[in-house]
Amino acid sequence: MAGQREIRGNKMFEVGRMCIKTAGRDANKFCLIIDTLDDKFVMIDGLTRRRKCNIAHLEPLEKVIKIKKNASHDDVIKEFEKLKLVPKEKKKIMDKKEKTEKKEKKAEEKKEEEKTKRRNIFKRKEKKVAKKK
Amino acid sequence: MRPSKQKSRTFRRIFKKISGNKTTMHYKKRKPSKARCANCGAVLKGVLREIPTKMKNIPKTKKRPSRPFGGILCSKCTREKIKWLARGR
Repeated sequence: MAGQREIRGNKMFEVGRMCIKTAGRDANKFCLIIDTLDDKFVMIDGLTRRRKCNIAHLEPLEKVIKIKKNASHDDVIKEFEKLKLVPKEKKKIMDKKEKTEKKEKKAEEKKEEEKTKRRNIFKRKEKKVAKKK
Repeated sequence: MRPSKQKSRTFRRIFKKISGNKTTMHYKKRKPSKARCANCGAVLKGVLREIPTKMKNIPKTKKRPSRPFGGILCSKCTREKIKWLARGR
């Protein structure tokens, strides 16, 4: 078994190998291997958290990216952006305050519109009266 | 005559001690069945089993594990599913 592990550690899980995590709350997310600590553990970073990880919790992919050992988080994310793997940011969820402010603004606009309409009607009536005279 | 809910076993029975060294019977609703994996049918761990009125006041994060397919598939099946998806890419 020890021999198999060495081979796995050297070839399958080298620095720069793209992986998918299969366990924990970061499961089904892409990551890159930054460092090999042991024949069992590696350091990962990417769309997951930057952390130590067991080889058994990773699924290696075909891609290998040229990257320095212990590269920073920003460098790793840049590589992901090149491959277009970074998901788009979701729309901001509005707070209750923001929602109420929006509603109030809309209501004020409606009121002003109604006022202008009424004014216009009065003006027309005045004009008609003036013409008759 | 006793009401029907006390005759059937739809409600679970609880013995309560009261003053005067006496016991009375209380009737409470039974808990729902345990959550099971949709793929293999194994009992799910980390999924709460309470009556709906109690479940209302418990936060969502305490009701199921926070991994993808949490509360639907067991950990073994999720691993296999993710591997199967990854190898298709």
